[in-house]
Amino acid sequence: MYSFSTYLKSIRFGVFLITFSWILSPTLSAQEAGNKQLDEVKVTGFAPEKYMAGLKVQKVDSATLARFQFQTMADFLAFQSPISLKSYGPGQLTTLSFRGTSANHTALLWNGINVNAPTVGQTDYSTVPLLGFDEMAIQYGSAASCVGTDAIGGSILLGSAPRWKQKGFNATVGGQYNTLDNFNGQAGIRFVEKLKNNFQLSGKTLLYGSQYNNHYNQTSRTDSEGRTYPVEPSETVQKGLVQDLFLRNKNGNQLSLNIWLTDSKLTIQPDVVAFREITQTKAYRFLGGYQLKNTTFKAGFIRDIIDYGTGDFSNPSHSETDRYIVRAEHEFSWKKADSFWQTNLRIGGEFVHYAARVDGYGDMTINEDREDVFALLRQQFSPKLFASVNLRQAFSSKYKAPFTPSFGLEYLALSKPATQVKFTGNIARSYRLPTLNERYWKVLGNPDIRPESGFNKEIGTEIKQLFSENLNATLGVNAYHNLIDDWTYWNPDKNYRVENLQQVLTKGLEVTLALKYLKENKMAGITGTYAYTNASQQKVYDAYAADIIGKQLIYVPVHTLSGNAYAGKGDWSLNIQGLYNSDRFITFDHSGRPFPPYFLLNSTVSGKIQLGRIQSSLILQVNNLTDIVYPSVRKNAMPGRSFSLGLVFNFNS
Amino acid sequence: MQFNSILIRSLAAGILLFGLNSCSSSSDPEPSQPYDKGVFVINSGNFNDNNGSLTLINPTTKVTSFDIFQKENNRSLAGGVRDYQEVDGKGLILVDNAAAGKDVVEIVNARTFKSIATIPSTDIENPRYGVKAGTNKAYVSCWGLLNPDYSYNPGYIAVIDLTTNKVTKKITVQRNVENVIANGNDVIVGSGGYGGDTFINIINTQTDVATQVEVGKNPGLIGIDANGKLWLYAGGELVKFNLTSKTVESRLKITTTGSAKSPGNFTLSKDKLSILFVYSFYDPADGYKQKGETYSFGVNATSVTADKPLINKLFTGLGVDPATGNIYAGFTPSYKQAGYVFRYQSNGALIDSIKAEIAPSGFFFK
Repeated sequence: MYSFSTYLKSIRFGVFLITFSWILSPTLSAQEAGNKQLDEVKVTGFAPEKYMAGLKVQKVDSATLARFQFQTMADFLAFQSPISLKSYGPGQLTTLSFRGTSANHTALLWNGINVNAPTVGQTDYSTVPLLGFDEMAIQYGSAASCVGTDAIGGSILLGSAPRWKQKGFNATVGGQYNTLDNFNGQAGIRFVEKLKNNFQLSGKTLLYGSQYNNHYNQTSRTDSEGRTYPVEPSETVQKGLVQDLFLRNKNGNQLSLNIWLTDSKLTIQPDVVAFREITQTKAYRFLGGYQLKNTTFKAGFIRDIIDYGTGDFSNPSHSETDRYIVRAEHEFSWKKADSFWQTNLRIGGEFVHYAARVDGYGDMTINEDREDVFALLRQQFSPKLFASVNLRQAFSSKYKAPFTPSFGLEYLALSKPATQVKFTGNIARSYRLPTLNERYWKVLGNPDIRPESGFNKEIGTEIKQLFSENLNATLGVNAYHNLIDDWTYWNPDKNYRVENLQQVLTKGLEVTLALKYLKENKMAGITGTYAYTNASQQKVYDAYAADIIGKQLIYVPVHTLSGNAYAGKGDWSLNIQGLYNSDRFITFDHSGRPFPPYFLLNSTVSGKIQLGRIQSSLILQVNNLTDIVYPSVRKNAMPGRSFSLGLVFNFNS
Repeated sequence: MQFNSILIRSLAAGILLFGLNSCSSSSDPEPSQPYDKGVFVINSGNFNDNNGSLTLINPTTKVTSFDIFQKENNRSLAGGVRDYQEVDGKGLILVDNAAAGKDVVEIVNARTFKSIATIPSTDIENPRYGVKAGTNKAYVSCWGLLNPDYSYNPGYIAVIDLTTNKVTKKITVQRNVENVIANGNDVIVGSGGYGGDTFINIINTQTDVATQVEVGKNPGLIGIDANGKLWLYAGGELVKFNLTSKTVESRLKITTTGSAKSPGNFTLSKDKLSILFVYSFYDPADGYKQKGETYSFGVNATSVTADKPLINKLFTGLGVDPATGNIYAGFTPSYKQAGYVFRYQSNGALIDSIKAEIAPSGFFFK
């Protein structure tokens, strides 16, 4: 989630500009524009981003995180990216389909560690709040060589960052009420302390919670065509704690501790005990880091707990997975004097021990070890050209993982004060290690299941144009072709046993356009992404596969459009978010009725008022502005129009 | 689905009465309606997708109408479809949602398929099969709520009054209740393979009083043959039951030369002199893929050996057209794509195949 101080500071429009800087900023230096900027801090950070040559990385700035701080990650991503979501209902299981891939083809990294639940290899993004992170980026395409397993369609990168320049102490408290009787609350502090011997301590503590009662006062909803969907009652209670501590000395060596605890309880049909279906998801995540010059050590512990039960929840099915993580990385760099020629090499390894106690696996604890070694090489040839070659090999005590190299290139073809044109390309192998469920589930799992492997190729271009000192535009176009083999499938033909059945080809195009106007204290702009996604099964595996081959995968829209329009003056701004999904098929052979296309609008008005040392921020939000009716995966109606009012108070010492 | 002559006769009588009534009240002949005749395919759908449907096939022209409830009412059946039955001009669609508390019985005009009423989930939980139990009266077997560990509680028969479209009472019956068959003034209530009870219930439709009769573990109903005997599959055996004396007459084991299989989808032939069934198993040598064939045996046979299949194919549903004797067999390539209806002559010779919807698992002939 968002930190409050981040929010408060960044809501100023001057800073707000940075929000869209990745797409928009027209005045970067040649080096910055041509490359992902080299950071002085060598091996910290939430992802090895500078080695991702040729890959599209969409950074989300802290002002945007602040603006949507009361949303879940699921709601946020739907409007900020062309990722399509598969939602079982409001507050219910919501997974991502990134570039046409399935839910376990998106890696979720928290401070560089993959936090997808190891049992299912995916994350329920409705349980991830947008609050509590200092950095966020959406990385498109296969980046397995940089981030490891699961990053086949893309990855979501979340990070905590110290704020050494902050002066003193900052406290924040806030809440939000939504007309569906949904509540959000949060409280946190952030500080920087100078200690003896030139040591500095930076810390953040944030507590948050929410109660979604989802009082729709409707039992069904009917769209303009007369299609009617029932409304499913549900309640969600979420709470969480973020604790970050960073200690550094004058040499820049740094110790860090990051803790992220989450607890989410979803109750479907809360009003009738006998009908209840309850899913409680808890995660305890601890990560310690030590950075000594160009070497980083990390050690982590993550416990994921999922309890699922019906009725009075007295005897839920229990799943508990522990991960012990150790990682070491070292970075070398060579720079030629009087030249842009620079070589960076990062080598590292990661060891993860899994211990799983899952009712579905039987009585014993399942143990498995996984190791990764990687070498990431970046070569800057000139201010305009750089390339990266990355290699990664994963090992397992139980099976063989594919070797995943990648090669990427970025070239700044045109660099004039008003116009910049950049070309990018990347070719990469990727992989997804089997989930623990796939390997160990009694009877239906398969100990011999193979890792999935992908082969992704993509090219892109980015054009930045400065029309005047007040107006600029950026146009980005990316095309990709991603073939994923050994795609696993819980096959109903085999009583839902899992097997490496399918081969899926996803190919598509993303066009991103941003226009930005800024003059004195006034600003306006639009950003939008159109995505064309063609994702289909390729392999014939039975006599009736002919009905399926080449057809768009279920729940993956061919056309998506997501966009933001904003305008502001002084401390106040208006933001309208739009989202369009074309038809979504729900059967492999496209029989039956697809889910109809829909266009969803949200709107936010935000502003801030200074009261002495307290800065108060106000966020008024309308969800589903036009009150459209569209279904969840369970064919229930998604929520209609609702209004939210959020207030956040920030105190600076 | 099982059909018996009583049911067919009473349906015919109902339709005849309906026709006479309408003739007496109007001089115009009743115009024909789209759902007056045909074969209704019950597509159970993929359980978690709640996408069951009914397909109407014209058996002569093979013209097919998909998802006819949605077509006529502009809303989906919100769940899997378990059964479809007609009682006195009304169609009952048994809808089983993957979530508890959302199962319903949709009542439609049987000729137009326009919705008349919805029996709410407060009265219906896990509906399985329906049957006519008198004039404007239907029985619907329901599992009721499962326990959190998915074990069964005693089930019930929801008694539906089709003049008010309400459940008037619930008759407690055995666990994992399944098929219901009308026989004169009685309705016989059978089970599935998991409840553990060893009895059937015979309910007097005049009094709604149920009587338990021991027949063997998990007694599944097959149907009433040409000799008026009730067939069941109970305790792992075929059971021939005398409906007059209410006693078991004989028990037969299905023998096979191949690997052990389980029988299912029992259906009587048109002449009620033979019984068809699907005999299947999960093949451990092939990733536990379900495999099997379709067999038949005569009701007067003294032994049943499953060695020569009638049709060398596995089906998710079987039905016999009472008019032609043709076999309708539902085939499910996967639960994420449309299935097919294969049609065979009664001797097992393939006629043709027609695309239906997801998981065709039963048929209603009209």
